[in-house]
Amino acid sequence: MYITDLKCISAQETYSDKFIKGELNEIKEVTYLALEPNYLEFIPKGLLRRMGKAVRMGIGTGLPLVKAHNNIDGIIIGTANGGLEDCIKFLNQIVEYDEGTLTPTNFVQSTPNAIAGQLALMGGNHSYNITYTNGGTSFENTLLDALLLFEENNAQKLLVGGLEEISDYNYNIDFLANKYKIELISTTDLLQSTSKGTICGEGSNMFILEKEAVNYYAQVLDVEQITYPTQEDLKVILTQLLERQGLKLEDISSVMLGYNGDENHKSWYDFVGNELLPNTTLYTFKQFVGDYRTVSSFAVWLSAHILNESISTKHHFIIREKNNSSTSEKKYHLIYNHFDGVRHGFILLSN
Amino acid sequence: MEKVYITGMGVISAIGNDVLSCYNALNSAQTGIGKANFFQSKYTKSLLFGEVQLENHQLISLTDSSYETGLTRTTLLAYKAFQDAIKDAKLSENDISSFKTGFISSSTVGGMSNTDELYADANLKGEPSEFVLSYGGGEHVLRMVKKYNIKGFTSTINTACSSSVNAIILGARLIKSGRLDRVIVGGTDSLAKYTVNGFNSLMILSDTFCQPFDEEGKGLNLGEGAGYLVLESERIAKDKHKIAEVLGYGNANDAYHPSATSPEANGPRLAMKKALENAEISEKKIDYINAHGTGTVNNDETELFAFKETFSTIPPFNSTKSYTGHTLAASGVIESIFSIISLNENKLFPSLNCEKPIGEEENSPIKVVSEKELNIVMSNSFGFGGNCSSVIFKKTT
Repeated sequence: MYITDLKCISAQETYSDKFIKGELNEIKEVTYLALEPNYLEFIPKGLLRRMGKAVRMGIGTGLPLVKAHNNIDGIIIGTANGGLEDCIKFLNQIVEYDEGTLTPTNFVQSTPNAIAGQLALMGGNHSYNITYTNGGTSFENTLLDALLLFEENNAQKLLVGGLEEISDYNYNIDFLANKYKIELISTTDLLQSTSKGTICGEGSNMFILEKEAVNYYAQVLDVEQITYPTQEDLKVILTQLLERQGLKLEDISSVMLGYNGDENHKSWYDFVGNELLPNTTLYTFKQFVGDYRTVSSFAVWLSAHILNESISTKHHFIIREKNNSSTSEKKYHLIYNHFDGVRHGFILLSN
Repeated sequence: MEKVYITGMGVISAIGNDVLSCYNALNSAQTGIGKANFFQSKYTKSLLFGEVQLENHQLISLTDSSYETGLTRTTLLAYKAFQDAIKDAKLSENDISSFKTGFISSSTVGGMSNTDELYADANLKGEPSEFVLSYGGGEHVLRMVKKYNIKGFTSTINTACSSSVNAIILGARLIKSGRLDRVIVGGTDSLAKYTVNGFNSLMILSDTFCQPFDEEGKGLNLGEGAGYLVLESERIAKDKHKIAEVLGYGNANDAYHPSATSPEANGPRLAMKKALENAEISEKKIDYINAHGTGTVNNDETELFAFKETFSTIPPFNSTKSYTGHTLAASGVIESIFSIISLNENKLFPSLNCEKPIGEEENSPIKVVSEKELNIVMSNSFGFGGNCSSVIFKKTT
């Protein structure tokens, strides 16, 4: 399947061309908050006011794609938490008003499937519609579903996306679970950090995937995932993925890894990047957008621009260049990411 | 295309802690809805619930989980149903840990069933609770991956009240594609202040027994439970006992309103139409429908309209939510299991409390326990966000 269109909201200027044209923002904040576009161009004011951030970012990236591409055969969204801000707002009301009379807005907005549901509603789309909430591999789930729909001849064109919002509350909960750094650290220094934890980011990345395409950003070949693996398990599933595509480890020309400055979980990336795939060009991406459970959707967004050569800042993401790489060859590009060392996913792309 | 068979089932709901006790309750038209014994909320005085009749400590002991901390009721219900399903399918530890065995679950409330602990942790009130890692919708899946040593593909789905039907659908598709040989699919949800207050704020909870398909229905009763099915490919199932075949399925979106169904019933009609097409059968082949039938007049009218548009003669139908209450993400798989019980027992179970059928008498759901030769049955689930799914099962013997 082919990525033929895409939209991204992140802590960088990715909604416009600025980021891919070279404008990189240096951030030194506790969290890397998304730069949101002016939604009023396509979301009515009254509706926008009631939307939580996750819903708004999802609509902001998804709706322009749904409107620009007719005949979408399915809407597939991955989000570990959906509208958590609304969720906890509602929860706070329950506790603070002792289960009194509450308004339903926060409740309805808080369900993770509200984003795919709103996209269907606003886009007038009655097709296949699903939401995956499988933590760190929610986005990988969406890609597998899309691959299956195309294989089954049940779709020609799909909207697929991954998103997550930062709310004070999910930040608090993950902070209590020691997932984030205590010290302030900038985008430039994040990956060199030797302390534990990472920086929390947020964003929404949406894609039009088509079964057949002449003009496209990148081809998505396959996806694999595993939970609580050993290094040996990880090697087994990567080999399975490559075998399905008739490829070997040596055929991979570049790899994009989810290094996030967390000393605790770095060894997984070292294993894949240095031991399994030592002769590859190595990219990283979280230094610019932070980490969140569906951040592999940002990795796909960035990789699509890299493979399409539509990004002028490619060198900012390269930490190791493959020797004698030819420019004309077919390139196989592997994304490997995990959240907290628990759920791990591989996504194989090609130019 | 490879056929997909059900080789194991496990269920826990207000009408029983296993498949057999649920069957007995259905067969004697005994509802499980009533006053809550364990669930704590201001609304336990005024509302009725479909509560599982086991306390957490009993679930812990039934599932050998006393060594774990931070276990939510959502996870405990899942453990119990999952354990029964894998036992029923006689799966070995190696079978479960095969890279070709997947696990697809679903939940809406997840670990938010621990509303008060979540409130404290999210607002940084005091020391982190033991549940701090347990709130996410997919957290019960992590627990189960660890407990049962699952190595293959895993997924968690949240399409609100249609979640676990979508888990069944994805599982069947993964087997048909050849990616998996076997997949355990289902869902779990426990009673929670979060959902009770949410549904209450939408004013769709009934203060009496829910009356699906009654024109004076006052709303739904919330319930809790879990259900899992073991799906196996024809090749792997070989001469194993096959409980039923997953014959077809459909998923569509109503695209009408975030929390109500459209009068044209676009979502429900499309879901059933797609399921029939996918099963490659005529509508005349459906012998029974386990309806979504929440007991809210809006839902029931829409579903009834969808039946009229889809079927030349509406097959016998019921809503087993009149026994269990609405178990949200778990409802699809629980009702699939009840449909399969009907299929294999050749029995139709009554829908409870429908006194004045919507519109006319011929719109009445099943009224008494009756015997009928059943070959193919359908189960519907529709949810918030317009998510509608329908699944069709076929007898194997």
